Amino acid sequence: MTMLDSRTAQAGTLESMDCLVTVTGPADGRVIEISGSSAPRFKISMERRVNDVLDSLGCDSGVRVAVQDNGALDIVLGARVEAAFVRYREGDVR
Amino acid sequence: MERSAVNREIPSHIEGYGDVAGRLYEGAFARTPSGYRSGPRIRSSSPHDGSKLTGGVKEAIMAAGVKSGMTLSFHHHLRGGDHVVNGVIQACAELGITDLTIFPTALFDVHKDIIPYIKSGVVSRIMGSVNGAIGRLVSEGGLSSPVVLRSHGGRPRAVISGDVHIDAAFIAAPAADRAGNISGQMGRSACGSIGYAFTDAEYADVVVAITDNLQSYPISPISIPGVYVDLVAVTDSIGDPAGIVSGTTKVTRDPIRLLIAKYASRLIEASPYFMDGISFQTGAGGIPLAVTAFLKEAMKRRDIRASFGLGGITGYFVDMMKEGLIQKLMDVQSFDLEAVRSIASNPSHIEISADWYANPWNCGAAVNMLDVVILGATEIDMDFNVNVCTEADGALLHGIGGHQDTAAGAKLTIIAQPLTRGRIPCVVDKVHTVTTPGEVVDAIVTEFGVTVNPRRTDLMDACADFAVSRRIPLIPIDELAERAKKMCGVMEPIRTSDRVAAVVEWRDGSVIDVIRQLEK
Repeated sequence: MTMLDSRTAQAGTLESMDCLVTVTGPADGRVIEISGSSAPRFKISMERRVNDVLDSLGCDSGVRVAVQDNGALDIVLGARVEAAFVRYREGDVR
Repeated sequence: MERSAVNREIPSHIEGYGDVAGRLYEGAFARTPSGYRSGPRIRSSSPHDGSKLTGGVKEAIMAAGVKSGMTLSFHHHLRGGDHVVNGVIQACAELGITDLTIFPTALFDVHKDIIPYIKSGVVSRIMGSVNGAIGRLVSEGGLSSPVVLRSHGGRPRAVISGDVHIDAAFIAAPAADRAGNISGQMGRSACGSIGYAFTDAEYADVVVAITDNLQSYPISPISIPGVYVDLVAVTDSIGDPAGIVSGTTKVTRDPIRLLIAKYASRLIEASPYFMDGISFQTGAGGIPLAVTAFLKEAMKRRDIRASFGLGGITGYFVDMMKEGLIQKLMDVQSFDLEAVRSIASNPSHIEISADWYANPWNCGAAVNMLDVVILGATEIDMDFNVNVCTEADGALLHGIGGHQDTAAGAKLTIIAQPLTRGRIPCVVDKVHTVTTPGEVVDAIVTEFGVTVNPRRTDLMDACADFAVSRRIPLIPIDELAERAKKMCGVMEPIRTSDRVAAVVEWRDGSVIDVIRQLEK
């Protein structure tokens, strides 16, 4: 696979109580990377939320989802993941 | 294993600290002293003595007789601009001195330059507040002995009672003369009050003033007289003025924080302490400063004047004194340029030592005269215990400051804090570290209203009228914790090892909690 085949899409910001979600693919399976202020105490529930959103959107191909968190509540995280993934899937790369 | 009165498990013996049995925290006012004050070496002087001037820092360290294994003290009035701690430690390293205990009032990020000297064994122990990078290093096991955290009042208590003996004190002196008289009020490195250094000067075996502003004898005003000072070292710069004093501290503009400040101000107005002669401490944070601004309006409206403002002093307090709303300022640390100018020119702006400010073991600290204090917290729990030392990830990142002392001293102790910091809740079931016990905390103010400690039924009654009109929404602590949980979710536990990385002393020298090393 060449670099040209890979795509990246983003949603969110690094403002307080938000997060920046970057979806890159294709990847070898589903890879979730979580960093930032909530990670030390909420990593498991954040991973669960990312997985739930991807599942609900029917994501069955390999993607890498990187979350740079700055204190986003679960509901914000879910919305950012959804936006980033839909942009990725529909080629709306901005 | 022992259990302190705030229900924390503490080892009976802590390697590098000592036995805990017999000095467990038993209550805010439980431990009292007996016997006599400890003292430094007696010195003499005669008109035939040579000069106290020693040249630079390295010459002063040699002249002071600093040797490996000694305890060196420092004060933090130069804050993030300080060059003295780094300069002294580096010079000690160059002289081959090792195994030092350093006893600073506080270390900041600027002091990360000493991390290599911690790793190489020049510094083997720290007793004092560690903020930022050094705190993280300590939490990850970077120091072989535990850090000992003491409050602003607990530190001079430890010196005066003999818990800590200072071999040599290094005092950053914005102005000094050849006889060792010191002032913080003038010079390019002026910092205002040097109150944290007073007890060190009185109790150290050797006292070294380090100055970048040697003036002709005698200087005036004098904060620390030369009778306590052995040596005067002259250096190019003791600090960076930009890091020493901040610009004008600003009231927060964040609507949530303003709401919190408004509720806190109304709580004070509703309390029995809101009358002519009220006294308060509010510090320099965004919320406390906004509380002061709202309080100022209420004071004007109700024609009330404060007797004194205490603690770290800002330009905001200075302005209120100029307007006649506060009569006196008692200043242990001058935060900004306005405060520095004021203490140098206004006799109603009084410089006080940390001992005078906050020590529980003297004949009356200023905190005991305090009506109201506004404080912050990283966490507060269902028992109203407060943590200001460790962050959400369990790392030691802040010192105690005057938190314990003012909370214990003031008649009304208010913690004003948003319910969440990012996704991290500030109200939890159990704090990771107890800095200040709920026994001395009266109310928590968040954006959801005022949460009164149930033992303060009098305060609850005082708020009744305001509560009916919803000007002070009252919310019980369990509801507050539940709300935080609902918003944030349940936190995963912090993983620590059994090793104690830091000991948290209550202001009376008892052990209230320990901070354990983080697991990698």
